[in-house]
Amino acid sequence: MSNKLLEVKNLKKTFGGLKAVDIENLSFNKNELTSVIGPNGAGKTTFFDLVSRFQQQDIGEIYFKDKKITKSQPYKVSRLGLIRTFQLTKVFDRMTVLENLMFSGSSIKNDSFFQSIISTSSSKKYEKGLKDKAFEIMKDLNIEKMSESYARELSGGQKKLLELGRSLMKNPELLMLDEPLAGVNPKLAEDLLEKIKNLSDQGITILMVEHNIEAVMKISERVVVLAEGQVIAEGSPQDVRNNNKVIEAYLGTADE
Amino acid sequence: MKISSKWITTILLTFLSIALVFVLNPDGQLRILANLLTFAGIYALAAIGLNVHFGLTGLLNFGHASFMGVGAYVTLLLIPHAAGREGEINENGLPFLAALAIGIVAAALFGLLLGLPAMRLRGDYLAIVTIAAAEIFRLLIRDLESITGGVYGIINFSDALQKYRPVFFDEAVARLDLAPAQIWVGLLSWLTVFIVLLLLKRLSASPWGRALRAVREDEDAVRALGKNAVWLKLQSFMLGAGIAGIAGVFLAFNYGSVQTTIFVPLLTFYVWAIMILGGVGSLTGPIFGSIIFWAIISETDKIASLIFENADGQQLAGVRFMLVGLLIMMLMIFRPSGLLGKKEELLLNVK
Repeated sequence: MSNKLLEVKNLKKTFGGLKAVDIENLSFNKNELTSVIGPNGAGKTTFFDLVSRFQQQDIGEIYFKDKKITKSQPYKVSRLGLIRTFQLTKVFDRMTVLENLMFSGSSIKNDSFFQSIISTSSSKKYEKGLKDKAFEIMKDLNIEKMSESYARELSGGQKKLLELGRSLMKNPELLMLDEPLAGVNPKLAEDLLEKIKNLSDQGITILMVEHNIEAVMKISERVVVLAEGQVIAEGSPQDVRNNNKVIEAYLGTADE
Repeated sequence: MKISSKWITTILLTFLSIALVFVLNPDGQLRILANLLTFAGIYALAAIGLNVHFGLTGLLNFGHASFMGVGAYVTLLLIPHAAGREGEINENGLPFLAALAIGIVAAALFGLLLGLPAMRLRGDYLAIVTIAAAEIFRLLIRDLESITGGVYGIINFSDALQKYRPVFFDEAVARLDLAPAQIWVGLLSWLTVFIVLLLLKRLSASPWGRALRAVREDEDAVRALGKNAVWLKLQSFMLGAGIAGIAGVFLAFNYGSVQTTIFVPLLTFYVWAIMILGGVGSLTGPIFGSIIFWAIISETDKIASLIFENADGQQLAGVRFMLVGLLIMMLMIFRPSGLLGKKEELLLNVK
């Protein structure tokens, strides 16, 4: 097996006349922490949506773990181990923090209608296991005091933490974080960044869209720069920082 | 369990509604109350089914009458009955329980059939499709006269259920000067209400119920976490439709005959009113909502006749709906989450 966990080939998506994503060839290696950066409207979130199958590309192919997922449903891709978060946090507002996490970790069998009616001792044991795991994750993210609060009562930053925790309940192989630091206070942002770095060290492949360039440069092993849907640069943070095209895209008159 | 103020208010209002029957009716009070409670039980069952759709899963279903109708028509056509203008009695038929089981499955399958294309729609669009489907169902029933009896409906089916009435039951009911046939239907529907509630209590606290609530909150997040949101919604649709099917059967037996005029949109909106009155998402809410709703429906014309001395029947009927509207407005102002709804779940999150 190759070292590539995710690979896209000739991926194109247009909205009307606007080219949102136009990528020839891009791949992401196992265990790498990659950041995708670019000016507003560069197609970062659309790229995320295409890979996680929330949007349909015009043409192109996507491979995850060498499997073609070009026509898969989002939930099928997720079951393969590709878990994403959203730019605008999507927590289950009227469920408690604990329920948010337990739902995420629960297996298809455990969620099933008949299993739920019968409610055997093994399913109770499974639920207990889920609860323990949820508390472990909440402790790790420092939200265990909120376990019985409704998710909608959480602050913006806490919701980001909850969404991250919910993704971790799934034991992801590839974790795609869409602006994990947006709207988070500087102190919490630092903690979150540390947390993301730790996850990467534990062997989870991470792909992250982030506007906070300082943060990106600090923890990323590789940076991919998008502008107008195209990859204009990729490489180590150092390389990208000194790339003329990148400087132009960020400071030039073309976009902002 | 801590008895909270909303429970005290709810039980007080329910007793008040029942007391209203005794105050406003000089005679035949027990008979009126029995009639009211039978309807309340049947409609509570329908509202419980709707609550699975809307309260638990957030699905906007405005075609509830058609689920009730499918359950009723399939069941009635399978037991001995007489359909259509000629009204020849078809003596051959299944026993009641077997027919009921098929009727429930048919209603659930109708939910599945309707849901398969509609589940890709959200919010208002699903609502429009369900209204349309319910009307299509009603018109089909009306026009397929050779099978369904069309506008002449189905009659002579009551015996299939009434023959199971025990003798001691008849004697006890007769002593109270009530109609045993109706009390039998009422008793069975309330019994079903409690069985269904026990089942739902278990289900809504289970991982399955948790998954449905997650769908209600955010479908995209559910998908991103590897769960098949469409299938979860379809299951919810089928369960709620099946429960509505039972309610439809009891409604038919309570009327003693069934025509297309029963399963009209007004029925759906009565059920919605009951669910909102009881509290969206509350398991026991529909019970109290239904009793209070029916007390109001059956007693408002008497209240109106106290206010307006020389009004005729048609005018009184108009006042009835004004009073019902006033009540719902007051409810929305003072208890927007219904009698037993949770304040935390007040925000109506429509899918």
